[in-house]
Amino acid sequence: MDISTPSASMPVHYTKDGSAIFKLGFKTGLLTFATLGIYRFWQKTRIRKFIWSSTSAGGDAFEYTGTGLEKFLGFLIAIVFLAVYLGVIQMVLFYLGLSMLDQPDPFDPMSTVRFLAAFYISFFAVLPFLLYALYRARRYKMARTRWRGIRFGMDKGAWGYAFRAIGYGLLTLVTLVTLGILAPLMSFKLEKYMTDRSHYGDARFQQGGKWTGLYPALKHVLIGIGLLVLAGICGALDIPALAIIAGIVGYIWIFVGFIYYQVRSFAYLTSHKVLAGGITFDAQPRTGEVIKTYIIGGLAIGILAGIAFAILGVVVGGLTAAIGSGASIGSMIGIGLLAIAGYVVVLTLVQALGLSMITQPILAHFIETITIGNPEALNAIRQRESETGVDAEGFADALDIGGAI
Amino acid sequence: MRATATHLDGTTGAAREVELWLDAEAGAITGAGLHWPLDEIRVLPDIAGGDLLILRLRGDPLQRLILRDRAWLAHLPHAHRRAPVANRKRLAGMAVAAILSVLLIVFVLVPTMADQLAAYIPPEGEQALGEVTLTQIREAMDETGVSPIGFCTESQGRAALDKMAARLTDGAQLHTRIDLHVLDHPLVNAFALPGGQVVLFRGLIEAAETPEEVAAVLAHEIGHVVSRDPTRNALRSAGSIGVLGLLFGDFAGGAVVLFLTERLIEAQYSQKAEAAADRYAIDLMRGAGLPPEALADMFERFRKLGGEAEGFVAHFQAHPKLGDRIAAARAAGVGADRGAPLLSARDWQALQAICGGGARPQPSASATTSQ
Repeated sequence: MDISTPSASMPVHYTKDGSAIFKLGFKTGLLTFATLGIYRFWQKTRIRKFIWSSTSAGGDAFEYTGTGLEKFLGFLIAIVFLAVYLGVIQMVLFYLGLSMLDQPDPFDPMSTVRFLAAFYISFFAVLPFLLYALYRARRYKMARTRWRGIRFGMDKGAWGYAFRAIGYGLLTLVTLVTLGILAPLMSFKLEKYMTDRSHYGDARFQQGGKWTGLYPALKHVLIGIGLLVLAGICGALDIPALAIIAGIVGYIWIFVGFIYYQVRSFAYLTSHKVLAGGITFDAQPRTGEVIKTYIIGGLAIGILAGIAFAILGVVVGGLTAAIGSGASIGSMIGIGLLAIAGYVVVLTLVQALGLSMITQPILAHFIETITIGNPEALNAIRQRESETGVDAEGFADALDIGGAI
Repeated sequence: MRATATHLDGTTGAAREVELWLDAEAGAITGAGLHWPLDEIRVLPDIAGGDLLILRLRGDPLQRLILRDRAWLAHLPHAHRRAPVANRKRLAGMAVAAILSVLLIVFVLVPTMADQLAAYIPPEGEQALGEVTLTQIREAMDETGVSPIGFCTESQGRAALDKMAARLTDGAQLHTRIDLHVLDHPLVNAFALPGGQVVLFRGLIEAAETPEEVAAVLAHEIGHVVSRDPTRNALRSAGSIGVLGLLFGDFAGGAVVLFLTERLIEAQYSQKAEAAADRYAIDLMRGAGLPPEALADMFERFRKLGGEAEGFVAHFQAHPKLGDRIAAARAAGVGADRGAPLLSARDWQALQAICGGGARPQPSASATTSQ
């Protein structure tokens, strides 16, 4: 709350508490299973409240004011619409003899074609709603975020976003043959579309910079593609050893390159955002830190999950052996239920560990590298009207693109 | 009790440091122009760190008081009381609307569309669908885990079966050709699939006493093919699984709910369809100069094998009560024309041995009625 000493820039801080978020994630995860998934709206709300309140700028924490109930209501609204839409789509596909319910037969190429056709038609039928939902979900999160009691917010414009996203997506797809060279255009324009419609209180955000400014972020993806092309050339020239090495290195390079692109484009886009009143931002997240967190967290969770499943297996197997072949149906069912309950608990454990060991550390790293320039201007910002978006992020929930937070 | 706190007034972006004290007599936290009644103060839940106490006032969504001393919590009687549910009526309305629309879709829209579409589905698509489904069923029923259960193709038995099918279908108007298969499995059962696939199990052929009984079951399944019941069922499943999958999302237990619902839908659907297939079978038998009451004989044999289920179980087995069907078939047999016998004794023996014969094994006791 140290607002009396003005400084040139204001750091943003994240208070990392791995065990607290693990406990919250585990407890709410079990509740979600126990309520057949209904509690997931409240689970998401509670985890967000925790994460938002862990984040502070200039000593003042953020607050998340969303509620589980409004998410549930939004989900119901989305269901009413999507149920009709998806039901009809599925049947029309079926009418055309295309069904995703049939597994493709490896010996019948036509069945694979049918399966893929069904998959892609379903996907593209839902795509506009996915994009619509993406914008709505961000708008909802903004509207329910506060700092120093002042609301963030975002203008309406979800269909405009979906329309543009499809347009740029097609453009990128068309240029995919030229190595996806227009991907930065899509990233930049879509982020600009969202940022330019965002507010903090009565102040508006603006996305500065140029889309070509994202090219340095893309360099490792391009190097990776170059290596794969080299591998192809070596293969054609019959130099198998070089082709294999270039292929493997290129593949890993592209994978790391995508993470690099995400991290660096976030840095570029954040550092070029401006809030009215001359408030600037700077972000310097490091790709190495992100990859390190993924690897260490992933390994640790893998080992812990392995141990947990092994214990479960030993317990269930031991009980089955102890009861022996003369087991009554009742005890068999008992063991079966125990195995299912154990499985659910371990699965929830893994999710909570992921939240605590991967999601939170990466989020914390991104947040900790952000600083705010000219923070005194923040004091002049006034409150904005509240928004009562009725469907919250119902479409995102229904289409399952919300993610953990 | 006194403390310094941060006050966020909710209109300006500046945080203000204020001196507060607990006024026990007035029952409020006061200071610096603030007067917050203790019983109206709520604490924000799920705040990280646990060292701060962030207070809000009931009915005021904007103002916040941030205290660094958690001891104040003891003086707030309703600190953790939940906010009253806003627009409760609207919420209830939406919940009801959501449930109703899903019910409407699953039980009205999907069946109606399925019925419409089933009549127009291209024959090739129907054919392909039937073949895929048949392979899936053969794989699912295999207990050895090695290969799908096989077809019975012993040539003399096959010839007898074809003779039987030809006699039945000669005078009938069919939109598709009938693909007849016998599966090497002891279940007393038969079913039809999209694209005119009709499947008899070995157990059914062995349990039958006369060729006419097998013909009656065959006629019944042809009845399903003619009214495109299998295609309709498949279309319904596709539609409702799309909807229900959405509802239950990636939730782990969803598949069970999905399955149960699907069973219920199918059972309700098939009650009517079964009766219609029975009527069709009786007409077909009459037209071919065969005794319609053979259908009743076969049903009675099912009953003796324990095929008829009562109560709850009956609801999950997609068939009308057997007793009603037997009575209907018997009534139809009165005064029907009798043509030449369906198969010679030799042909009948060959048909019963279509799976490579030998001694007749006992049919499975867990057999259910024909689908």
